[in-house]
Amino acid sequence: MLDQRTIDAMAEEIIRRMEGERRPSGTPAPSQRPHREDGAGAAPPPGGQPPSRGTPPPGELEDIASREQRAIPTLREPEDYDALIRMKGKTSARIGVGRCGPRLLTKTLLTLRADHAMARDAVFTDVDPAFLERNGLFSVQTRCADKNTHITRPDLGRQLSDEGVKTILERCKKGVQAQIIVSDGLSSKAIEANAQDALPAIQEGLRQRGISVGTPFFVRFGRVAVEDQVAELLDAEVVCILIGERPGLATAESMSAYLCYRARVGQPEARRTVVSNIHSGGISAVEAGAYIAELIQKILAAKASGVELQK
Amino acid sequence: MAYKTLLSGQVFTFDSVKEVLAKANEEKSGDILAGVAAQSGIQRIAAKEVLAGMTLEELRQNPVVPYEEDEVTRLNQDSINESIYSAIKGWTVSDLREWLLGESAGEEEIRRISRALTAEMVAAVAKLMTNLDLVYAASKIRVPAHCNTTIGLRGTLSTRLQPNHTTDNVEGITASLFEGLSYGCGDALIGLNPSGESVASMTEILKRFDEIKNQFEIPTQICVLGHITTQLEAVKRGAPADMIFQSIAGSQKGNEAFGFTTDHIREAMELLRRRGTGTGPNVMYFETGQGSELSSDAHYGADQVTMEARCYAYAREFKPFMVNTVVGFIGPEYLYDSRQVIRAGLEDHFMGKLSGIPMGCDCCYTNHMMAEQNDIENLAMLLGAAGANYILGVPTSDDVMLNYQTNAYHDAAAIREVLGLRPIREFDLWLEKMGITENGRLTSRAGDPTIFLSRKGRG
Amino acid sequence: MAEEKAILSVGIDIGTSTTQLVFSRLSMENTSGYFTVPRISIVDKEVVYRSAIHTTPLRTRTLIDGEAVRRIVEAEFEKAGFTPADTGTGAVIITGESARKENAALVLRELSGFAGEFVVSTAGPDLEAIIAGKGSGAWQYSQEMSCTAVNLDIGGGTTNLVMFDCGRVAAKGCLDIGGRLVRLEKDLTVTYLSPAAGLVAQSLGLPLREGERTSLEELRGLCRGMAQVLEECLGLWEAGPLLERLQTPGSSLFRPPKAIQAVFFSGGVADSVYQPPQGGDPIPYGDIGALLGEAIREGRLCSAFRLQRGKETIRATVVGAGSYATSLSGSTIDCPGELFPLKNVPVLKLSPEEQEAAFRGEAAPMAERIRWFLGQSDSPRLVIAMEGEKNPSYPRVKALASALAAAAEEALPPGEPLLAVVREDMAKALGQAARPLLASGRAAAFLDGIQAEQNDYMDMGRPLMDGLVVPVVVKTLIFG
Repeated sequence: MLDQRTIDAMAEEIIRRMEGERRPSGTPAPSQRPHREDGAGAAPPPGGQPPSRGTPPPGELEDIASREQRAIPTLREPEDYDALIRMKGKTSARIGVGRCGPRLLTKTLLTLRADHAMARDAVFTDVDPAFLERNGLFSVQTRCADKNTHITRPDLGRQLSDEGVKTILERCKKGVQAQIIVSDGLSSKAIEANAQDALPAIQEGLRQRGISVGTPFFVRFGRVAVEDQVAELLDAEVVCILIGERPGLATAESMSAYLCYRARVGQPEARRTVVSNIHSGGISAVEAGAYIAELIQKILAAKASGVELQK
Repeated sequence: MAYKTLLSGQVFTFDSVKEVLAKANEEKSGDILAGVAAQSGIQRIAAKEVLAGMTLEELRQNPVVPYEEDEVTRLNQDSINESIYSAIKGWTVSDLREWLLGESAGEEEIRRISRALTAEMVAAVAKLMTNLDLVYAASKIRVPAHCNTTIGLRGTLSTRLQPNHTTDNVEGITASLFEGLSYGCGDALIGLNPSGESVASMTEILKRFDEIKNQFEIPTQICVLGHITTQLEAVKRGAPADMIFQSIAGSQKGNEAFGFTTDHIREAMELLRRRGTGTGPNVMYFETGQGSELSSDAHYGADQVTMEARCYAYAREFKPFMVNTVVGFIGPEYLYDSRQVIRAGLEDHFMGKLSGIPMGCDCCYTNHMMAEQNDIENLAMLLGAAGANYILGVPTSDDVMLNYQTNAYHDAAAIREVLGLRPIREFDLWLEKMGITENGRLTSRAGDPTIFLSRKGRG
Repeated sequence: MAEEKAILSVGIDIGTSTTQLVFSRLSMENTSGYFTVPRISIVDKEVVYRSAIHTTPLRTRTLIDGEAVRRIVEAEFEKAGFTPADTGTGAVIITGESARKENAALVLRELSGFAGEFVVSTAGPDLEAIIAGKGSGAWQYSQEMSCTAVNLDIGGGTTNLVMFDCGRVAAKGCLDIGGRLVRLEKDLTVTYLSPAAGLVAQSLGLPLREGERTSLEELRGLCRGMAQVLEECLGLWEAGPLLERLQTPGSSLFRPPKAIQAVFFSGGVADSVYQPPQGGDPIPYGDIGALLGEAIREGRLCSAFRLQRGKETIRATVVGAGSYATSLSGSTIDCPGELFPLKNVPVLKLSPEEQEAAFRGEAAPMAERIRWFLGQSDSPRLVIAMEGEKNPSYPRVKALASALAAAAEEALPPGEPLLAVVREDMAKALGQAARPLLASGRAAAFLDGIQAEQNDYMDMGRPLMDGLVVPVVVKTLIFG
């Protein structure tokens, strides 16, 4: 049996050791990590004790979901640390994460859960009305009454509400060459992150080319094919919807543009031309905007979109 | 003909076998979207009751898509073993359920009966099963297949290693592949979903897989899951492939929407026989998933479980090495939440095994579904217990290209340890040789992708 | 299925001792599929023709016989079955001791009409080292294996060294060590002893003199000395005084920043590093090449590192020139086809501070830089290069565009095009915003995906793949 003093002394020793393991500030940069001359990586710490828990100095918070934190492998003692860093540089997949037994380390697990929460929030929150106002977008709704219907009834998300139809007819010009619309789709965050840079780039590009543009607006609870009804209503030659894509864990902010020449309700999907992957880690919103303006000109000239345009 | 029953004081009428099948389904958002689901809980049970009393003969005579219109129905009906069928055609679906769960149905007996079952019978009995029924019945059935190694033997749980990359960068794919191998993944298949559809890039990836497979002498299979026509072109131009992949549907119309015909599959099998790098005889890889027929309006008013069973009836005609139900990929409009996904995963695995195909499952979900990683881990455990041939493995459960989550590279090792399962024997030995596992458990060097950089052939 | 297109690239290497030519087919493909913006890249590089290895025709010990070079090139085009019009891009590279200003001018004049409209003359020991390392396969190996790899291209007069780390250049340099630094008669009379070889001999106390007979022992000693300098250079010994004295003028100091994992040898001496020459003649070519190979083979270079044999040895430089000199711009650019090709355009690189000023819309500092730069240079035009920004907002792009346009109008001579290259993917938006601000008659091109530095020069070819991309060679010139 241990007496109380011994136990206390042991506890103190453990606490002291844990303090000693704490990193000085932030986290070690990959280059600071020692490596042997033969490139075989660092020598394992004695006793295989658990890794240090980085406690940043007061006032400086560490974001485990940040790009910098993700770049640091959590795998302990790889054979070749430098190579692992390079491997991580070649894929956005979560590799070099290490394990405890056959399970994820706590930090890896929490990062994963944080990303999932972000993605869920992108789907289940609405685009901020102030954002729409700032960008001069009025809002109409599809036949989906709420998020849950929007998620489970894509058919209703393709149809405008009666009131929406009325508003559009009142406020938009008919017979334009290009009609741009914006819709939340499956990520409101994608719209908030990209629409304000893409939209003016498209509009400016069209103006320079002398292409007439209709009044852009926002469709709440929309699916891609809602653009077909809009095109029919307004007799627009080309319709282009900027819509939030189903979020992944890497980014919840990916937007796509679907363009169609003389869109008709019920048409085959193959008639659409798609520009996907618009976000800060893919093609930037402004560059995509300039590209889309040119694409609209091409579609008008060819009088075709989708697979027909590729011929 | 109409079917009628009295239940809890109400009379329920159903107009057709198709309607009974649909309304007897456990609740799925896809059936609601299609407008074929039961309108109340009690109507669902009434339909199950009618279905329980229906004979196998009635089901055979009422395929949900007409024989004349549909190749899948024809292939299924024409391949039935008539002598076995005549012995059981008088059974009701309830009889079939109780027989499957009973002591007299062993593995051999079930495999024999399986040859007389149409997709509609397979789907019907699944609809009367509880989740534990589905696990228990499936666990009796083993469907092994052989390409380079033998998958699906009792006591094994394999994985398809899926090293997807957002831009198909070969080095990035390799990095992810090494990570997966270091966790003991990849005995079923090293299989990539390409982000692009170019023959050149597909060929480059296949060459890399082949190189790694040969260099490290990995006893496994390789495949790049592009469209079948692109794969055919790549193999014709000399790309190394053990298997050819295609997504399939439960009706001819659905398959046409996927852009292929049965001739493509036959061509693929013939091409692999002559030019493939796999030993065979099983060289096809199919993927399915409840709801895909509805998404291409090719469901003929039938429910998604019955259409799914028809995929398996179609698949078995081509003796695949593996069939994969990508169970939660399609979204909440087909499978709303974790309860529906788990149910669908168990149904699909059971139906696949009962149909006689080497079935595995991509236990997955998207971010707009009411499901999360915990649910998918539950499903994987259940399927491990049910004897699924394989599950998937991706880095830390996040597929960065397809934007969905499935099982992590870690998961198979944990499930194997909990349930006392092992990888395919040859692969197991290879893992030991590489120092990744010892007696089926991960060693201290497991989980380190850089161990492959200094090894044999690279050093 | 994605579209695929190929251009023919010619590489010509005029070295100290040999002149070679290859044709490579560079296959381009839109690798992004139809569902997003195009991304054209070179997906395959296939050498379709390798010339014979010619002795470089010389007028004097150092001056190339331009006419004779032209005749060689002419004959090889004919043998390969190509005409100059078939080539879409390429590079002529003058290496080793031939890399002199007068030779470059001469070769450019003789070959200008020849190897297509887009063939350039480029050299310099550092660039040679990189090109040889790419041609040998070391670059690809380091990328594929995620490791460091050093390529030693040992030619007649120099050894060009490059170290790749995961496909990135980590170190480069050049030493005056080569197989023809000593030339000999059959009876071992020394007919030529280069100054560098003389230095090595002197430091070892070997009595080598031109016109006098020597012995195999002495020559082996000399070659061991040279091999040791190479070993020092790769960090296997402490650096001695010779290492610095043998550094080729104009080259960087080769200093590996980290552990070397693999080594490759290329150049004329490489084959005798990998195996002894057949027939057992220690001096089969009347020089010390085979003995140098032997000294390296038996020294520490081949045992201390992972020894790899590349796809190319003696042809590494020419294959590198033909297959790796050209890169492609990004695939969303703003570029009228009629402006190109443009050759030898000097690069003005904006510093991060200058770029930030431009992003704020300030034109004056940039105009000032342009005027200064044009005053220094004898070219009437320039390329404005900058890093750009990963995900710029629309207002920032507008501001940058207005600064660029205003600076161009203020400082560029009338009629000269505004040429801007950015590393980040933003050129199309930039062009769209800038173009309307330019005076009519001012042509302009905005390219991205290009890394160019101050003192570089750029060649830009005609747009390819329906105008989606522009082939580009970024280079350093030894003349001009």
